[in-house]
Amino acid sequence: MTGRKIGVVVCQCGGNISDYVDTEKVRAEAAKEGDVVSTQVQMFACSDAAQQAVIQEIREKKLDGIVVCSCSPKLHTATFRAMAERAGLNPYEYTQVNLREQCSWAHTHDRAAATEKGIRLVRAGIAKTALSRPLEKMRVETLPQALVIGAGIAGLRSALALSDLGISVHLIERADRPGGQVRRWGTLFPNDKAGKDLIEDLVRRVHERDNIQLYLGTELVERSGRVGAFSVKVRAPTGDLISLDVGAIVVATGFEPYTPAAGEFGYGLDGVLTLPELKELLAATPGPLVYRGRPVRSIAYVYCVGSRQPAEGGTQRTYCSRYCCSATSHLATVVTGLDPAVHQFHLFRDVRTYGKYEALYERALKGGSVFLRYSEEDLPTVVREDGGLVVRIHDRLLAGEEVEIRPDLVVLVTGMIPRANDDLVRNLKLPIGPDGFFREVHVKLRPVETVVDGVYIVGTAQGPKNVAESVATALASVSKAGALLLKGYVDLDPLVARVDPTLCEWCGECQTACPYGAIDEVEYGDRHIAQVNAVLCKGEGACVPACPKAAISVQGYTNEQITSMIDALAKEVA
Amino acid sequence: MAAVGPPRDYDVLVVGAGVGGMESALSLGDMGFKVLVAEKEPSVGGRMILLSKVFPTLDCASCISTPKMAAVNNHPNVRTLVYSEIDDITPRPEGGYLVHLTRKPTFVDPAKCTGCALCEPACTVAVPDEFNYDLAARHAAHIAFPQAVPKKAVITRTGTSPCSFTCPAGVKPHGYISLVRAGRYDQAFRQHLEDAPLVGVLSRACYAPCEDQCTRGELEGSVAIRGIKRFMADRYYAGHLVPEYGPPKERKGKRVAIVGSGPAGLAAAFVLGRSGYDVTILEAEAEAGGILRWGIPSYRLPKDVVARDIQNITALGVRIELNHRVASLTELKARGYDAVFVATGDKGGRKLAVPGEDLGGVVDAMDFLRSINSGHAPDFAGKKVVVIGGGNVAIDSARSALRLRASSVRMYCLESRAEMPAHPWEIREAEEEGIQITPSWGVGQLKGPAGKVDGVDLIRCTAVFDAERRFRPTFDRSVHEQVDADVVITAIGLAPNTAGFANEVELNRNGTLKVHPETLTTSVPGIFAGGDAVTGPSMIVTSIGQGKKAAFYIDRYLSGLTLDGLRYDDRLPVADRAAVAARARDGGSHLEPVPVLRRPAAARVGSFSEYEAGFSESEARDSARRCLDCGVCSECRECVAACPADAIDLGMRARHETVTVRSVALATGFSPTDARKKPAWGFGRFPNVINGPQMDRILAPTRPFNAVVRPSDGKVPANVAFVLCAGSRDEQVGNRLCSRVCCMYSMKQAQLLMGSIPTADVTIYYIDIRAFGKGYEEFFQQTKGMSVSFTKGKVSRIEETDDQDLLVHYEDIEGGGGPKVARHDLVVLATGLLPNQGAFRLFPEGAPEKDEHSYIREVDEELEPGKTSLDGVFVIGSATAVRDIPDTIVHSEAASAQIAAFLKRAEAKA
Repeated sequence: MTGRKIGVVVCQCGGNISDYVDTEKVRAEAAKEGDVVSTQVQMFACSDAAQQAVIQEIREKKLDGIVVCSCSPKLHTATFRAMAERAGLNPYEYTQVNLREQCSWAHTHDRAAATEKGIRLVRAGIAKTALSRPLEKMRVETLPQALVIGAGIAGLRSALALSDLGISVHLIERADRPGGQVRRWGTLFPNDKAGKDLIEDLVRRVHERDNIQLYLGTELVERSGRVGAFSVKVRAPTGDLISLDVGAIVVATGFEPYTPAAGEFGYGLDGVLTLPELKELLAATPGPLVYRGRPVRSIAYVYCVGSRQPAEGGTQRTYCSRYCCSATSHLATVVTGLDPAVHQFHLFRDVRTYGKYEALYERALKGGSVFLRYSEEDLPTVVREDGGLVVRIHDRLLAGEEVEIRPDLVVLVTGMIPRANDDLVRNLKLPIGPDGFFREVHVKLRPVETVVDGVYIVGTAQGPKNVAESVATALASVSKAGALLLKGYVDLDPLVARVDPTLCEWCGECQTACPYGAIDEVEYGDRHIAQVNAVLCKGEGACVPACPKAAISVQGYTNEQITSMIDALAKEVA
Repeated sequence: MAAVGPPRDYDVLVVGAGVGGMESALSLGDMGFKVLVAEKEPSVGGRMILLSKVFPTLDCASCISTPKMAAVNNHPNVRTLVYSEIDDITPRPEGGYLVHLTRKPTFVDPAKCTGCALCEPACTVAVPDEFNYDLAARHAAHIAFPQAVPKKAVITRTGTSPCSFTCPAGVKPHGYISLVRAGRYDQAFRQHLEDAPLVGVLSRACYAPCEDQCTRGELEGSVAIRGIKRFMADRYYAGHLVPEYGPPKERKGKRVAIVGSGPAGLAAAFVLGRSGYDVTILEAEAEAGGILRWGIPSYRLPKDVVARDIQNITALGVRIELNHRVASLTELKARGYDAVFVATGDKGGRKLAVPGEDLGGVVDAMDFLRSINSGHAPDFAGKKVVVIGGGNVAIDSARSALRLRASSVRMYCLESRAEMPAHPWEIREAEEEGIQITPSWGVGQLKGPAGKVDGVDLIRCTAVFDAERRFRPTFDRSVHEQVDADVVITAIGLAPNTAGFANEVELNRNGTLKVHPETLTTSVPGIFAGGDAVTGPSMIVTSIGQGKKAAFYIDRYLSGLTLDGLRYDDRLPVADRAAVAARARDGGSHLEPVPVLRRPAAARVGSFSEYEAGFSESEARDSARRCLDCGVCSECRECVAACPADAIDLGMRARHETVTVRSVALATGFSPTDARKKPAWGFGRFPNVINGPQMDRILAPTRPFNAVVRPSDGKVPANVAFVLCAGSRDEQVGNRLCSRVCCMYSMKQAQLLMGSIPTADVTIYYIDIRAFGKGYEEFFQQTKGMSVSFTKGKVSRIEETDDQDLLVHYEDIEGGGGPKVARHDLVVLATGLLPNQGAFRLFPEGAPEKDEHSYIREVDEELEPGKTSLDGVFVIGSATAVRDIPDTIVHSEAASAQIAAFLKRAEAKA
């Protein structure tokens, strides 16, 4: 007993927890713990009504610690800290116990055992809270400036939108001209706008802005600092390093079109192109389609090249590239527009012209396009025979009958793949998803944010998208950057490492262990000791076990707290 | 309904608090802008919060939604109005928009409501639960769903039910009918008592105008409202020989005299007595009740019922001084009464004004009925009786004469049959009993030798009313007839009983008391009047209404409050009968009336005992079950009694606000497609054919059945079919577009179903599987890996077997193309999403442009997401094109950036 007054809330998660864990028993056991003066079970602890009930309890019972036993802290730590704050309780006197991901969902087969584990987890949460101390957030200034990496359509649009909010932008582009992939393309679905026109319009507007600086042929080489005040170094084409101070970083590095392996669906044969190659060909051809001087009378499109690959092949490219069905349907209508006599065959798996793009598919069908379906187990073949291309497919729509097509052109509808950006990934510590694209924190809760605060991912760097979708993510990042930078400050979590100067003898182990460069050697009287730069420290605790003197610990997760949690977990459940 | 408060200024109005609206509001709030969110439903959260889990990561919809819902409700820069409708949005000359909005009444004070939901089980009205997509029922008093924000109760009221609206006494039939339906008989009685004390009297003698207004009357026949009332009154009185209450403890210390103990006087005494006034009724006769006691024959209204009803009033401490004829009203005030209510009713019949009226054997109907009701009935054995008149009193007289053994009873009236003031049912019953009714005759003279009547000269009445519908009969004296009569009863109208007060208060020319029509004050302050003495002859319920109204104003008068500018009537407008009837027809509701049993005519003319039988309990409840709950809430007030916080306020009314905003964000979402548009699929006909949203409810943690079962019989489904594109990519259902989410949500449902029922067979009938987003294709592969079977084929029709399984007819495209049939025990139609057209009507001076598919058009889809054709008006999420949740969230945040840029530019200009 520490004399603390702790409240415990056990959440049923509408059955997600209570179907597998006896929440009432967990509550009753929690109530027996020494410092616990209040317990309750809620159907949805995160609901507004439940939060109000907990706030009332905190105020009425004058609680000095609160434990919510619900889901992963990833989901609701911020929710309940805000709740604690509204109740007048220091938000760091709040502890979240993960009864769902770490208990109910993991043990759906054994209610008694899951309940016992739940009781142990809750006890550990209570033990940690009993030793918690009020902590204050660290308020630090933010700079009203942003770095945008990549001057494709998403980067250009981000830059303009940031500039609209009064945030100065440094826009860097690795290539020697802006515009990325979109500049090379002709008309785009669904509104028949030319990619080149879109880009030129954006570039013109970027040049008109006083608060956007465009750096071409320029790459990021170094990043340090923290959210709201990053220091970056970029290398100009001259080789000079330029230092920039920015509050936020928007990563808009785009995608790479998939390049088929030699021989993949006949790639390499004369007359076998990829989708971007056909787009460029169309953009360069004013009248009816001509390939290498020969008029094109028929085209066969092979869909899903480089996309939707079976996972067993060990590929990362299991994903759908999203834009290609609509783009190809649209392209077919463009070709028909140039010459209605061109025969077009679409060898597809599923036609994914989602939403309004269904109208493009309809138009392609009305224009005479023929759709034949193949399966991933039985791929079409593309060969050259008798001086011409021959495509063979077992059409699932004709009960697997073999169909032979002799087109003038074979277009491999290639998807999008992630760009190789190793230096950038290393510099920004960007997380990468299983598909190789940059990974957001949460596809629904924080779709353009990364685990690195102040660093946003937009456009096709995050995953395949069409133009409008890329631009939407670009602007979404501006909303987030705006919320961060317009205030002029940001409050940082105080859950960072602290050094006990009486114990530290400076051996440098912690500095070596720290991945963030947050530990400095400083003079302390006649000794040298370690000091933590709190705004750089992420509180992940790599330094703690490295210290031979136990002189360093993370606030909110002190050694005493961790030990007491282990003791509580180990205690038998009656 | 005045506007509340001064105009408030906001940077942004967000219309709709679904996931898109919330996300935008929070983003803009975080950027420091002032945001107003208006949501028409009682909770924020939109449609997403109603989902089970959401693809592709299978997060709980609740887990994702509730923090945003709480945040939007608590954000310092965001004001959220739920249950509020935007009336219109108009541009202001100086820029920005003027917004009129209506905060719909929830009838629950949100400041007091704790969300305890005790009102729900108390409520007696069940309606389909829209938050469970009609799979289950909810109460009229309800909290939208368990995670609702704010978690406050709302009472659904679409108006006053026609029966309750029409009752002049303010009795609320819908209320007690719903209580009888619920088996709460004593509460039913008490609810009636709250509104009017003469429950027994009305259960017999009321002409029940409510039944004429009953919406069931448009269908199979009105609900037998009076019969239900009689059941509950008889049942209550059998168990409560005396009232269960006494005089109120709190006394007002003021005295009120009521002159007359008829329905108006008794009603006023009841209300005033209940309020703590010292009330004395001064009654000239030897017994109380007025026309109830002396006028209405006991075969219609037994006198013990009247006596028991009067106890409801006297139990409050109201004194009745019998045999006390008031000579002077002003004198009453002098004798210490602080207020007087004059309810002297009718004196007696009007005169015929024809020769022979003074002959023996000619009697006034009221005198005749009084003689019977006072135990001095004449014996008409063998006598020929003629009744002059065509109203209720004439019918009562004729039927009474028959019961006094008259050899024949003939009725003659001026009016044509259609014009007769008597009710068709009483005319019918009178004729059944053998009374001969001859309309369109006037009396020329009454004849008889030796001072005793023996015949009536009749002349043809050609018209009763003049062109202005005034009573001005015209006769054709060339057409005449003579009838023999031993007794002539005249029943041609009643005169008010006011003559004695002519020199004290002002009278109208017809002899009625002159009062202010709203406050019922006479020319003398402190003296009020009502009932037949004011209105002329009327129904019991009308008089009760007068008495209650007088009591309301007497209370205010005695409390020293103004009587000016008030309206006693606080009813909501009447509910839309036609809409209710149409809904009942569409829903296939068919319930025949429960007949009220009456003794046959031959048996009933033998005595003055009651001839109508009361309902049995089951008859009463069956009858009550026919109620269509026209206004939804029945005003039974059970929630008022159940609420521990005293939060229910049925008097709450809509409030209107006017605000100015600098920009508008339309986050009005989508409307689901209607699976009924494809009748061959049987949705709405076959209980086990459900739509996608319903399946999500069945799988949700807050699901209606608390298990994954099929609707018809609660069986755990073993073989489930999902039919994709049911409402999309199909001109026939009016949606040729792809709805984007249905492939994914169906696969999600299939996965959850397999998780819940691992042995189930699941088949997905599809055209193309559109798993296009991040992680979606992987989700599709995962679904296939769970051995869900995918069949490429369009479903043409669905049939139901005897055990309510379903035969799905489909074209097996990849299995050779032939038609095939498969049997399933549950079919889920993956219904799609359509544009919500609601936003366009908000702009009377020009709405944002539509695109070719009727969505709000983005003027530059590629570069300017969310920008509409109107300056400063933006569109979010599915309002411009259907989107899944991740895309909606991104689009919302993008639109927020656009709005922020717009506001910054506007700031810079200013």
